Amino acid sequence: MINQPDLNRQQLEPLIRVENLSFDYEKKAGSSLIDDVSFSLLQGEVTLLLGASGSGKSTISLCLNGLYPEAVEGYKKGDVFFRGREIRQFEKGELNQKIGIVFQDPESQFCMMTVENELAFTMENIRIPQKDMSSKIDRILEAVGLKDFQKRPIHQLSGGQKQKVALASVLLLEPELLILDEPTANLDPVSSMEFIKLVSELQKERGMSVFVIEHQLDDWVLFTDHVLALSQEGKLIADGRPDLVFKEQLAMLGAEGIHLPKDITKFPAEKHKRLADKAPRFLERTISISHLSFKRKGNVILDEIDLALHKGEFVAIVGENGAGKSTLLQLMAGILTPYKGKIDFLNKSLKQWREQELRQKMGFVFQNPEHQFITDTVYDELAFGMKLNGTGERKMKARIDVLLDHFQLQNHQWSNPFSISGGQKRRLSVATMLDETPELLLFDEPTFGQDAKTTEELMTIILELKEQGTTVVFVTHDMDLVDQYCERTFVLDSGRIVFHGHPEKLWKNEELLHTARLRQPYRIRKQNLKQQKAGETYDLVR
Amino acid sequence: MISSVNPALKMVAILIPGVLLSFSFDIFTPLIYLIFVVAFTFMFSKISIKKWLLLFSPFVFLAIGFAWMTVLYTSDSFAGGRVLFEFWWFEVTTGGVMVGISLALRSLCFVALSLMFILTTDSTKFMLSLMQQFKLPPKLTYGILAGYRFLPTFKHEFEVLRQAHRIRGIGRAKGLKGRIHQFRRYAIPLMANAIRKAERVAIAMESKGFTGETDRTHYHQMSIGRKDWAFFTSIVGAFCLVIIASYQLGYLNIFGVQF
Repeated sequence: MINQPDLNRQQLEPLIRVENLSFDYEKKAGSSLIDDVSFSLLQGEVTLLLGASGSGKSTISLCLNGLYPEAVEGYKKGDVFFRGREIRQFEKGELNQKIGIVFQDPESQFCMMTVENELAFTMENIRIPQKDMSSKIDRILEAVGLKDFQKRPIHQLSGGQKQKVALASVLLLEPELLILDEPTANLDPVSSMEFIKLVSELQKERGMSVFVIEHQLDDWVLFTDHVLALSQEGKLIADGRPDLVFKEQLAMLGAEGIHLPKDITKFPAEKHKRLADKAPRFLERTISISHLSFKRKGNVILDEIDLALHKGEFVAIVGENGAGKSTLLQLMAGILTPYKGKIDFLNKSLKQWREQELRQKMGFVFQNPEHQFITDTVYDELAFGMKLNGTGERKMKARIDVLLDHFQLQNHQWSNPFSISGGQKRRLSVATMLDETPELLLFDEPTFGQDAKTTEELMTIILELKEQGTTVVFVTHDMDLVDQYCERTFVLDSGRIVFHGHPEKLWKNEELLHTARLRQPYRIRKQNLKQQKAGETYDLVR
Repeated sequence: MISSVNPALKMVAILIPGVLLSFSFDIFTPLIYLIFVVAFTFMFSKISIKKWLLLFSPFVFLAIGFAWMTVLYTSDSFAGGRVLFEFWWFEVTTGGVMVGISLALRSLCFVALSLMFILTTDSTKFMLSLMQQFKLPPKLTYGILAGYRFLPTFKHEFEVLRQAHRIRGIGRAKGLKGRIHQFRRYAIPLMANAIRKAERVAIAMESKGFTGETDRTHYHQMSIGRKDWAFFTSIVGAFCLVIIASYQLGYLNIFGVQF
């Protein structure tokens, strides 16, 4: 790992030099989305770009290879140099060969049906002779560990495999700079770790520069040489070696809502104890499920599920992608019908509930908040449920005011729900479920793609609801969240519940964690490391 | 085998008899050609008879429906011949029946030809050969291929949206007004997402060095060889033979003109 003093950095001709870059989608006076940013990326270095959601991280990465502002309607100021040459001087497509990007969404970065054809597409673009293609495909698939997947249709692969295919096809360009735009955001914990490990190995082997944009930075920071951070206003607020940046600018980064490496932030051990162990004696049942099975197109998705949740409980459902977590949640919400088995909600069969009543007592927050928006303003969005329930005008206004205030949406009440920021959308999607305090609140990956600040705001709200007796269920990949907040965890593996109990017990069962493709949370991993290295001082950042 | 024939040429070979058949108004020509197409399909492809019948049979009913309508409403220029029977104000003539049956057989010919194409052609290879043989611009072909990938996700997206709206307490829409309103509610987020995804794919394609230029190498080199011409000749040639035969036998009828 290179960790030269900063003096040395300046002497080398950087791979990429960005000078006073500004970018915005609209021409306007004052500060733009990306505002006067300058930095350099060096040959062979791994750079991490941090920033809260909406700070323009992805936009910067697309400016580096010249796709922006051409691909969108946008306005750019300032220069970007690739090996000392301004990127506008490159031929169309020439720069794209030197800079490869893996994007966040595994669903929308392919244009062909099979792995083989997708890889061939990349090679055809850069005019690799046909006779060399087969051997190149073999070699690259071997390198990313997908040797037997050549003929497979891409849509049948798991999220982690798709991202590896994306990586493989980009590596075929033999790029000098590899940009990774939140590549593991959609992946389960183990797939995500595997992907990061793969990148670090390939980086060492090939010596290319890597530019990573990521919210969950704990695994990356171990092999990062250089850290950049963007503020909410799109200005560069940190630029330097990770140990220095995280030491000197920690408070400022935290205030910007950026996820910090958990190793550095004082982990709230006390808070942890308080949250997870204050398990009330559960008496009242909210929902109970017995012998539940579900099939889709003849495939068994869920098999003989039994579980019971109690009033005021905070429960997580975890497991790898495709284990049936979301399906189980949808069955609980009554938006899917079981193939077999019984679901009782508040001691009454789910089937016997009147739809409208059920929706009042139960809330469901989808992964993508936009899916839930129905009306044209934030205010109407909140009023919608109450109007359906026939709440009186005055009472409704009062409730909406409380919600707007509580979820910090007062200034946006007449905005279109689709036009507010990601964090605001997330808050609104929860708020729309709270026209009355629900008995059961189901969440499908609520913290996915959210920055630290949004996640924390959401958790505060959820804990308040829990205090009021709402049962909360999370489907999530975030083990740290489970560790910190949940009283019970259900592990799903191939449609069966293979574990249920206190998370602490789960972290000890390493065999189970392995088969269900889960990982211990950071707190436990660190404890284990400490035990291993007893006596030694250990600094994870280096 | 039909599945290994160059898809672009296959399409042309199927379009020629498909279009020309629409001019023959007798029974003999489409009947014989239909028998030929079906026989050809099963002789030179691995399509299972069951699957083929499953896809074909609904069209049989449709064709019968067409035929019946035509029999009842034959235009005067064809409705010659003896009156077979009358009911209400309909008058069924031999001419009408002939035209009706012919129409049914012609439609079944189209169906059989289309099935032969669809069941033996890989969509990716079809687009690639349109690009390589017919010089369709890569921007268009790869655009279509990328769009094709989206169809299943679009359906999934719609499902999720319906569930999400149900959670919000929206029941099934009642009446026309409610339905129009519901359509609007679904359409906006669906379109917004589709546009966003399309944009992402476009950027991903460009970032992999795609420029839309025609100067590119090809992993699947599509070519037209002897086998492809053999297929072309059999399909088109058989059609010519059928026409000649029906002319010789005096059945041929083009646009109502008996030859």
